[in-house]
Amino acid sequence: MRIALFIARRIAYAIGLLLAVAILNFTLIHLAPGDVVETIVGEMGGASAETIASLRKTYGLDKGFLEQLFIYVSRVATGDLGVSTYFNRPVLGLVADRMFATVLLVFSALASAVVLGTFLGVTAARRPSSWLGAFVTIVALFGFSAPVFWSGLLLLLLFASVWPILPASGMYDIASGATGFAYVLDVAHHLVLPAGTLAIIYLALYSRLARASMIEVLGSDYVRTARAKGLSENKVVFKHALRNAILPVVTIAGLQFSGMLAGAVLVETVFTWPGMGLLAFEAILRRDTQLILGILLLSALLVIVGNLLTDLAYRLIDPRIRTDG
Amino acid sequence: MMQTIVKSIVFAATLAIAAPATAQKAGGTLIWGTTQVARHFNPAVQSGYATAMVGAQVFASPLRFDDKWNPQPYLAESWSFQDDGKSLLLKLVPNATFHDGKPVTSEDVAFSIMAIKANHPFSSMLAAVERVDTPSPTVAIIRMSQPHPAIFLALSPALCPIMPKHIFGDGADLKTHARNTTPIGSGPYKLAEFKPGEHIILEKNPAFFIKDRPKFDRIIVRIFRDSNALAVAIERKEIQFTPFWADLALLDRLSKTPGIATTDKGGDAIGPLNWLAFNTKKKPLDDARVRQAISFAIDREFITKKLHNGRSRIATGPIAPGAPFYSGAVEHYKVDLEKANRLLDQAGLKKGAGGVRASLSVDYLPGSNEQQKNVAEYLKPQLKKIGIEVTVRNAPDFPTWAKRVGAHDFDMTMDAVFNWGDPVIGVHRTYLSSNIRPGIIWSNTQSYSNPKVDDLLAKAAVERDPAKRKAEYQEFQKIVVGDAPIAYINVLPYFTIYEKNLRSLPTTIWGAMAPIDEMYRE
Amino acid sequence: MAETEARGPWREAWSVFKRNYAALVGLGILALVLTTAIAGPWIYPVDPFDIVGAPKTPPGTDADAVLGTDYLGRDMLAGLVRGGRPTLMVGFFAAMIATVIGITMGALGGYYGGKVDALLGRITEFFQVLPALLFAMVLVMLFTPSLVTVTFAIGFVAWTSMARLTRAEFLRIKQLEYVRAARAIGSSNGRIIWGVILPNALPPIIVAATLATGTAILFEAGLSFLGLSDPNMMSWGMMIGSNRNYLREMWWAVTFPGVCIFLTVLAISLVGDGLNDAFNPRLRTR
Repeated sequence: MRIALFIARRIAYAIGLLLAVAILNFTLIHLAPGDVVETIVGEMGGASAETIASLRKTYGLDKGFLEQLFIYVSRVATGDLGVSTYFNRPVLGLVADRMFATVLLVFSALASAVVLGTFLGVTAARRPSSWLGAFVTIVALFGFSAPVFWSGLLLLLLFASVWPILPASGMYDIASGATGFAYVLDVAHHLVLPAGTLAIIYLALYSRLARASMIEVLGSDYVRTARAKGLSENKVVFKHALRNAILPVVTIAGLQFSGMLAGAVLVETVFTWPGMGLLAFEAILRRDTQLILGILLLSALLVIVGNLLTDLAYRLIDPRIRTDG
Repeated sequence: MMQTIVKSIVFAATLAIAAPATAQKAGGTLIWGTTQVARHFNPAVQSGYATAMVGAQVFASPLRFDDKWNPQPYLAESWSFQDDGKSLLLKLVPNATFHDGKPVTSEDVAFSIMAIKANHPFSSMLAAVERVDTPSPTVAIIRMSQPHPAIFLALSPALCPIMPKHIFGDGADLKTHARNTTPIGSGPYKLAEFKPGEHIILEKNPAFFIKDRPKFDRIIVRIFRDSNALAVAIERKEIQFTPFWADLALLDRLSKTPGIATTDKGGDAIGPLNWLAFNTKKKPLDDARVRQAISFAIDREFITKKLHNGRSRIATGPIAPGAPFYSGAVEHYKVDLEKANRLLDQAGLKKGAGGVRASLSVDYLPGSNEQQKNVAEYLKPQLKKIGIEVTVRNAPDFPTWAKRVGAHDFDMTMDAVFNWGDPVIGVHRTYLSSNIRPGIIWSNTQSYSNPKVDDLLAKAAVERDPAKRKAEYQEFQKIVVGDAPIAYINVLPYFTIYEKNLRSLPTTIWGAMAPIDEMYRE
Repeated sequence: MAETEARGPWREAWSVFKRNYAALVGLGILALVLTTAIAGPWIYPVDPFDIVGAPKTPPGTDADAVLGTDYLGRDMLAGLVRGGRPTLMVGFFAAMIATVIGITMGALGGYYGGKVDALLGRITEFFQVLPALLFAMVLVMLFTPSLVTVTFAIGFVAWTSMARLTRAEFLRIKQLEYVRAARAIGSSNGRIIWGVILPNALPPIIVAATLATGTAILFEAGLSFLGLSDPNMMSWGMMIGSNRNYLREMWWAVTFPGVCIFLTVLAISLVGDGLNDAFNPRLRTR
C-alpha cells in the first residue's frame, strides 16, 4: 500500500516536471533564429514570399508565441507530440522506434559493465596489491579520461578497418534479410563495438565504486563477526559483503542515467547506431522542431523512469529504507 | 530546332519497331544506395535530386533528354511550335496509363503544368505559360505570353511530373499534399513502400507505356545516414548502384574496390556550381576591385587538385561548363596574389596594424564539408596573404544559414546553386536586379544590380534563335564574371558508383534524375 | 576560530598529497599542459590555421609538419599546441559556472531548509532530468557555437551534482558546535553561510570542482566532435570532429588531439583523486 502511494506521488510529480521541461524547451527553441519552414524551403530549392507565408501558416508558425506555446503544451498533455517535418511521421512513433535501439545499447553496456566492474572491483578489493588492482585502476583512469567518441573511433579503426572482424556501423544487415535467431545474432554482432565503447566509461565507474565500497564493507563489524563465526571466506564475501557493497553501485547507476544518454548520443553518432541519440543529432541539424522537442521530452521521461526504478531497486535491496526521503 | 524535332519523331518510330528483345536480360532487383532523404517524391513542388531521382521513376513527363541536350519523346510522342513560338503542341502517346489503370490524358498534362507553375520554387521556369488547351485527350497545347525557349528543359522528368488529376487535383494544397509521399504516376516504377530514413521500394510498372521496359523487377533504395556507412555497404557489395556520390575522400577507396566502377558521366543539365558569393552592398565589398582581388587570391587549382583529390572541375562563370550556353571567354581569375594586393591598394584598402586591410566573415552552407566548410576554412589562411582577416561563421543547421543569407546579413558566403538545365530556370534568379528579394534564399542575395545584365537576360529569355541566344549569354557571362558578385570555385562533382555488370547507365543530361528504364544487369 | 582550525587540515592535506605519486604525476602533466597552453604560441610560433604543406601528410614525412597535416594541409603540431587553450578555458570556466551555481543552490537549500530547500530541490531535479548533452547541443545551436556559448551551455547543465554535494555538506555542518556558536553570538545568515560553513565545506567541493573541470573538457570535446564549436578557435575537440571523416586515411589527425584530451583529463582526475585522499581522513589510513 505504502509503495503504491509512493509510486502514485512520484508519477504525479513526474508529470509536473515533464510539463515544465516541455515549456522550457519550447521557449528556447522559439528563441532561435530561423525555423523549420526555412529547411523545407531550402529542400524545395527556394520559394516565393507567399509560399513561405503559406507554409508558416500550415505549421502554425504565424501565431503569437504564447498561443503557440499553449497549443503545444495542450497537445503534449494529450500525448500528441506532433509530426516530424523531416521524416514526415508522428514524433512519438519515430522516437519509440529508436528508443529500443538506445535502450538495448545502454543496457547491454550497463549490464556488462556492472557485472564485470563489480567482479573486478570486488576481486581487487580482496587482493589490494595484486596486478588486478592495478588493472582496475588503469581501466578506471582510461574510462574516466578518454573522450568516449575518441575511444569509439579508435576501436572502429582497429576492429572495422585494420583488423575487420566487426561491422562498422548500423544495427543489422538489411541485405541479409535474416529473421529469428539469425537476426538476433546479427544485431548482437553489430552491438559489440558500440556497447563495448560505452561500457568502458561505466566499467571505470563501477569497478572503482565496487572496490571502494567493498574495502569499506570488508572492514566493517558484521563482516568481522561473520568471519569470527567461522564462515568460509567466499561465503562472507558473496553472501554478506557483496549485498551491501552493491548498494552504491545501483544508486549511481540510476543517477547516471542522464549521463548515460549523453554517452549514447556520441557513441550512436560514431557507429551510426539508429537510436535516439542519432535521431536527436539529425533532428538538431535539420531544425526539426517537433522532433527535437519530442526527444528532449521523452529522454527526460526516460531519466525520470530510470530514477524511479533506481529508487525501487534500492528499496528492494536495502530493507532498512522504508519511508521516502 | 525543327531538325531536332523531326529527328526525334523518327527516333521514336524506330524505337517502337525495334524493341530490344535480344541479349538484354530483364528482371532482378537493383539495390540503390543514397544518403539523401526526400520528405516526399513529388518534383512538382520541390527541386533537388533526393526528390527527383525517385520522382522520375514514379512519374513520367512530356519529354526526356539524351546525353547531348536533345529532347526525346516520352509522354509526348511528337511536338511542334505554333504561333511564332508562343504555343507548343504536344501529341501524347495513346497507351500511357497511371499506376491505378486510368489513362493519361491531356487533362492531366494541363493540370500538372499549371500546378507546377503555381507551386514550384522556380518561378521563372513556366512564368510565360498562360494556359494549356486540351483540344483532344491526346493533344495538349501550351499557350505562352511570349516565346519561351526554356520550355523544353522545363518539361524534363526532374521538373515536370505528369500527375493524375483525379488524385492531385482534389483541391488540397499541392505543397503539403498527403499523396506526395505515396504518389502514383505513369512512370516505369510504382512506389511500393516508403519507410522514412530507412528504405524506398519501387516495383516494376507492368503496364509501362514503353514496351519491354523497365528492365528490373524491383528497385530498393536504401537510405544511409552518412557517406561512410554507405561506402562500407558498397564495399561489401550490399549496394549495386549509387548515383550523386559527392564524398571525394571516400571515392578513391571505393574506386579501388574490385567489381566496382565509378563515373562522373551524366547529369550535365544539373550544373551544380560551388561558389563564394559576396554581399555587394556591404563595404568594402561594394567595390568590384575588392571582390576581384579576393577572386584572384583563391587558388582553384589547390582546391580542385588537393582538397578535392583532382576529382572536381574548376568553374569559370555562372553557367556550368558542358552546357550549350557555356562560354569560357571570361576572366579566369588564375591565382595572382600580387595582382590581388594591387587591386586592394587601388581600392584604397591600406594595410593597417599587423598587415590587416579588412576583416570579413564567411558563412557556409552546412552539410557538405568538402565543398563548403573546407573551402570556407581554406579562405582563412589564404586571404590572410592579401591582408584580409577572415572569420568563419559556423551555422549549425540550415535555417540559421538561410536566415542570415536571406536577410542579407553576411559579408561572404559559400553557396552551391544549380543551373537546372536552361539558364532561365536556374541562372537568371541569381543576377536579375528584379530578384533582389530579402528573406528569400537563392534569389539575388548578392544584391547585384547591372542594367546591362538585366537587359541581356530579358532578351535571352525570349530569343528563339539558338545562335543569337548563345551570343547574348556569352556577353552576359563576360560581364558578370568581370563584375564579380560571385567568385566561382568549382563544379560540384557527382559520381555514379556501380557494380561493373550493370549496363546502360543513366548518362543523359539529367543522370539519375531521369527514368532508369533501360539499365539492366548482364 | 574557524580559520585556525582550517589551517591545520590544509597543511596536513598537502603533506598527504605530496606522498601520492599518481597525483604528483598528474600535477606534472597538468603543469606541462598549462605551460604549453599559455606559452605555446611563443615556443612554436606557427599559426594553426596556416596551410603549411600538402593536405593529409603523414607524421614524420615533412620537416615543416613533424606530426603531419590535416585535411587542409594545416600543421597538426601547431593545432595541438594552440588547441589546448580553448579546451582548458572552456573546461575551467564551465566548471566555475557549475560550481558557483551549484554552491549557491546547495548552500541556500541546505542552510535554510524547509520551503527554500524544497523549491531549490525541485529546480535541481528539473535540471537533473534534462538530458545534459542534448540540452547543451540545443543551447549551443540556438545561440551559435562560440567559446562563450559552449562554456555557458556546459556550466548550465553541469551544476546539479555540485548542488547536491554542497547541500549535503551544509546539512551536516550546520549541526556542528561552532555553527551553533556563531548563531548564538548573533552572526548574520550571510556571514554564517559564506564565512563559517562554506570554508569548512570546501574540501569535497574543491575535489568535485576539479573533477568537474575534467568532465567539462570531455563535454566540450563532445560538442566540438558533433560540429558545435567555434571554427575560428582551434581546439582539440574540433580537430577530432573535423578530421573524423578522414579517419581511415589519416589516423593521426584524430589520434593526437585525442591523446591530448585524454592526458589532460587523466591529469585532472589524478590530481582530483589525490586531493580527495588528502582531504578525506577516513581513506588516509589506506
